[in-house]
Amino acid sequence: MSAVRPTPTQQEKVLNDEDFIVSKTDLRGIITYGNRVFIGISGYEESELLGAPHNILRHPDMPRVVFKLLWDTIQAGREINAYVKNLAKDGSFYWVFANITPAFDERGAVSGYYSVRRKPKAAAIETFTGIYRAMLEAERRAGGGQAAMKASQALLEQTLQEKGVSYDEFVLGV
Amino acid sequence: MTNLSLGSRIHLLAGVAFLLYVAFAFLGFRAAGANGWMITLMTLSVVVFILMLYTLHRIQVALARITARMEEAAGGNLAGRITGIRKGAATEAAAWALNDLLDQVEAYFRETNAAFEHAQKGLTFRKAMTSGLHGAFRQSLERVNVSVEAMADSQRLVQKERLLARVGELSAVNLVKDLKTIQDFLVAQNQDMRVVANLSRETAEEAEASTAGIQAIVADLNRVIDLIDSTHGQITQIHEKSSEIQQIIQVITEVADKTNLLALNAAIEAAHAGEAGKGFAVVAEEVRTLSENTKDAAASIAASIGSFGLATTRMMNDAGHMKEIADTSRSAITEFAGQFQRFSESARTSLAQVTRAQDKGFTSLVKVDHFVFKQNGYRTLQAGLDSAEAKAARTDHHQCRLGLWYEQGEGKKAFGQLACYDRLALPHARVHGNVHAAMGLLNERWESDPALQEDVVAAFQAAEQASDEVMDALDCMVTERHGG
Ligand SMILES: Cc1cc2nc3c(=O)[nH]c(=O)nc-3n(C[C@H](O)[C@H](O)[C@H](O)COP(=O)(O)O)c2cc1C
Repeated sequence: MSAVRPTPTQQEKVLNDEDFIVSKTDLRGIITYGNRVFIGISGYEESELLGAPHNILRHPDMPRVVFKLLWDTIQAGREINAYVKNLAKDGSFYWVFANITPAFDERGAVSGYYSVRRKPKAAAIETFTGIYRAMLEAERRAGGGQAAMKASQALLEQTLQEKGVSYDEFVLGV
Repeated sequence: MTNLSLGSRIHLLAGVAFLLYVAFAFLGFRAAGANGWMITLMTLSVVVFILMLYTLHRIQVALARITARMEEAAGGNLAGRITGIRKGAATEAAAWALNDLLDQVEAYFRETNAAFEHAQKGLTFRKAMTSGLHGAFRQSLERVNVSVEAMADSQRLVQKERLLARVGELSAVNLVKDLKTIQDFLVAQNQDMRVVANLSRETAEEAEASTAGIQAIVADLNRVIDLIDSTHGQITQIHEKSSEIQQIIQVITEVADKTNLLALNAAIEAAHAGEAGKGFAVVAEEVRTLSENTKDAAASIAASIGSFGLATTRMMNDAGHMKEIADTSRSAITEFAGQFQRFSESARTSLAQVTRAQDKGFTSLVKVDHFVFKQNGYRTLQAGLDSAEAKAARTDHHQCRLGLWYEQGEGKKAFGQLACYDRLALPHARVHGNVHAAMGLLNERWESDPALQEDVVAAFQAAEQASDEVMDALDCMVTERHGG
């Protein structure tokens, strides 16, 4: 576990069209597997990734409520799709379109989580940069805690309501 | 050797090599004795040998892990991966290649499942994401998306069908109920119409019979009036004659008066003549008496004739009155006879109209019967072959209301001689026959056998077509009997 967080830079990395990042975690989000694409773009060694919490990729530009939605959904046994800005070891960032699903054991119980992250469309990155900035701003203004979550969630719901679509439909449609 | 595993083979080869090496060293020591160089070389080669065995062992362990993952995958568990892969290890590339393969396969399955699961719920926006998948995986996912789209389409259709079927079921159930109400109404109305038609017929017949009676009365009355007329004429004549008699009596009275005067003169002359005139005086006296008597007789005749004249005058007046009355009643009776004639005619017309309405009412009832019959046939699809609907739909074309009417009831009597009557029997038999044929096709397989379903639909269509012909023939019969 890297105790020191990388300092974010404005350097962007872009995922290849024909690649995807694959990672697996246990029930707490501790990384148990990462493919070579993951290792390559994140800049961490495989040994650094294994056993580390998935939030080593967390970028400060991401609103907290997105991860709350992420965990609520996968813990309920459903898949989530989300645009995520990730932080590489060298401080650069890379956008992914993440699909995270629960993994089930032979008895049908959730045994961990599985994530495939793909290269997002440029238009989608633009849309979500704007949305996340506003949500993050709302979280900051609310000053953290439950209030921050509520404010930013309300903002997301308002956006969806204006478009007249569900979260899934919106995320998969942009 | 061929049936030894790779590991055992390597161990065997290493053992043999080690034995050969020990033999070689032993012979070397024997020939050259132990010197420093040789001992160093020997020690080094033992170390290298051990290193080689260790590397072989590592490869073997790595291969065992790769094999285990592959076996898991072959067993359907795609979750496992190889982790902690050492850089530069001989199996590094193989291990990552296996991970990549498993990543592709697992992502492929997850995407397929996600797309199908969503499509099943009618959510078409969740397509299988093909990005990052390679070659055959990507192509297959693209095909999955096409079929998911098709599935969603057919899901929509099925959903729609299901709704339509439910609504159809609802309307069908109510349709039969509604039709039954109309049927009951028509049956009652048909009975009422029959009563009305019978009444009209009786009225028309009675009116016709009465017309003849009225005409006889009118003829009699006319004859009476004619008699009164001629009586009046005769009385007038009598009246005229009586005044003629009065004049004649006047003449007679004058003649008698003159005769009396002459007789008086003759008597005077006879007196003048004396004795010679004596006989003449007697004659003159006789003549005078005669004329006196004549005058008296004429006077009494005149009196009789006078009272006779009064009677005839009165009779004449009475006869005039009678004639006036007879004239008035003649026109009243003529008018009445005309009215009665018109009444009799309208009784005829209304009989014709009532019969026509009755026929139309009956054909409507029969039409409704056939709607109900067909509907029961259709409802059998939902309600099953043991249902009340199926039972009702099993009636044949001899037992149904139309069949009974046609073959033995009023139908044959009233319509039997019409051309359109003959057009009814065949299509009617076909309506029943085809509905029965459709029901006959409903075996255990019909719900899943499209060919059978085609046949069922075709049979129902044939029944519908025959039913149209029945309706036409019924209308044709009514028109033919009553005119357009
Ligand atoms: C399978 C899986 C994949 C994840 N991928 C990411 C990721 O790519 N980026 C990220 O910031 N968080 C990811 N997360 C969420 C993190 O676990 C964590 O919730 C998030 O980074 C926010 O950090 P925090 O919970 O400490 O606030 C993932 C979680 C799971 C279970």
